[in-house]
Amino acid sequence: MKKRKPLLSVRDLNKTFSNSDIKYSMLHGIQDLFYDLLGIKNTHTKLRDKEFWTLKNINFDLFEGDILGIVGSNGSGKTTLMRTVANIYQASSGAIYGKKNLKVIAIFTLSTGFRELFTGRENIYIKGAMFGMSKSEIDAKLAFIESFSELGKHLDKPLGNYSSGMKARLAYSIAIATEPDVFIIDEALAVGDSVFKAKCFDHLKQYVKKPNKAVLFVSNQIRKILRISNRLMVMQEGQIIHESSDIREGLHFYIKNCLSHLSEEERKHKLNRILDAGI
Amino acid sequence: MGPPRTIRHGWIQIIKNLNDYAFLIRQLVRIDILDEYKRSFIGIAWLFLVPIFSVVSWILFDNSGVLNPGDTEVPYPAFVLLSTSIWVFFIDIYYGVSKIFVGRSRMIVMTKFPREVLVAEKIIVHLIRFLIPLIINIVILLFFGVNFKWSALLFPFTLLPLLLLGISIGLIISFFRVVATDLAKIVDHGLGFLMILTPIVYTPQIEAGILSEIIQYNPMTYLVGFSREILLNGGFFEPWLWLGCSCLIFCFFLFTVRFFLIAEVKIVERLISN
Repeated sequence: MKKRKPLLSVRDLNKTFSNSDIKYSMLHGIQDLFYDLLGIKNTHTKLRDKEFWTLKNINFDLFEGDILGIVGSNGSGKTTLMRTVANIYQASSGAIYGKKNLKVIAIFTLSTGFRELFTGRENIYIKGAMFGMSKSEIDAKLAFIESFSELGKHLDKPLGNYSSGMKARLAYSIAIATEPDVFIIDEALAVGDSVFKAKCFDHLKQYVKKPNKAVLFVSNQIRKILRISNRLMVMQEGQIIHESSDIREGLHFYIKNCLSHLSEEERKHKLNRILDAGI
Repeated sequence: MGPPRTIRHGWIQIIKNLNDYAFLIRQLVRIDILDEYKRSFIGIAWLFLVPIFSVVSWILFDNSGVLNPGDTEVPYPAFVLLSTSIWVFFIDIYYGVSKIFVGRSRMIVMTKFPREVLVAEKIIVHLIRFLIPLIINIVILLFFGVNFKWSALLFPFTLLPLLLLGISIGLIISFFRVVATDLAKIVDHGLGFLMILTPIVYTPQIEAGILSEIIQYNPMTYLVGFSREILLNGGFFEPWLWLGCSCLIFCFFLFTVRFFLIAEVKIVERLISN
């Protein structure tokens, strides 16, 4: 069997966050700035007061052709991990390896960067520019975005008049038009109509068949994960607690883990209901 | 497998990033200027109307006789109009740059792009917003009988130290606005107070006890005075002091840019946005 190439490798990644006490977060921020001002290298190995590990000892590889599903309860560190992989957050320690000029595009909330008073067409240029595209690159992709989003004449109306589904269509079409090597979708396909979502899923499956392409797909909607992913990672309290190439097995583990606080009987009852729904 | 992905610093990298993201800068400039006026019927005509309102109010003040600015070689409204324009040039770039993180926090925590793009955008928007009132001010200065000399052409270049100072303080305070809002507010109010201690609405020759002493030690006296003098009279106001202040500001600017590049990656996680 042909050995697959990792596009991205995450090794011993740790990240600290200050807890919900905002004043401590600010205090730690001032401390970090002070270290930077004095040129002191400041990599945390110990937690400061009121800090916690939002990511702890994360290790995984993302191979070309992967659609790696990531599930975990709220606050398990999924979004922080995605923001760290996308280079938005800096890791406290550890490393992310990847080929030179690896293009990582992340969509977290679809409407971010859109301007309500500008038309859909103007917003294509605004959002495309945010993803690092030049005007000529956007011009070249305009027909694809128009066609994929299926927004037609609506593209010349102000974005403020769009429904959330229409915004989702536009945002997804722009993001995929950038042709990223690693495409991060963090709960971003939670909105929009099911026909368009089905189109996105079909497109993603085809997309990762191209060389050097992979997707990190974060969602707590297990049916979506089941439908699209070829590998699964389960996160809890900042750690990867389970990895599997058998998506059904991985989702069983995740659901059982989510229901662990229930009594045996309640757990069986809920699990059966979910299994009946198609897992 | 390549080396660990790291964030690179340095001037060459800044220039490359600004070039790579030139289209984003253009888009942000466009948004910044047009967004404000999209709901307005008269649109960007406001850029022309605001300085005209400012001139009218200073003329009214002067005619009322409540101001005692000291002797000015040109009509007082012309003097104060130019002085306030120079001060606003400094203070506006400070506010613009100091709000880059809090103003675009959502975009910053959701999308990776070089943050120096936001600084470049603020500088361009600032220069556009300054240019229009400046042209109006020059027309009004001509109306008040100011005879410009050839050396007045140096005026835009004399504003460079004020621009760099505004950017430098703004870069430092942009972090404080996120993690130390009290300090940011102190600096905001401090700069408001500094205006009172700088010959803006009065001349450097004003006789006002302790204030006269303070303005001698205030570097803004020379930074503002030099630019004003070159435009109004074609002369050089305390050139050596201005040059000394400018050199210090340039060093401060280099330091703050370096600090910005190192610290910006750590400030992102302190921005509260979901």
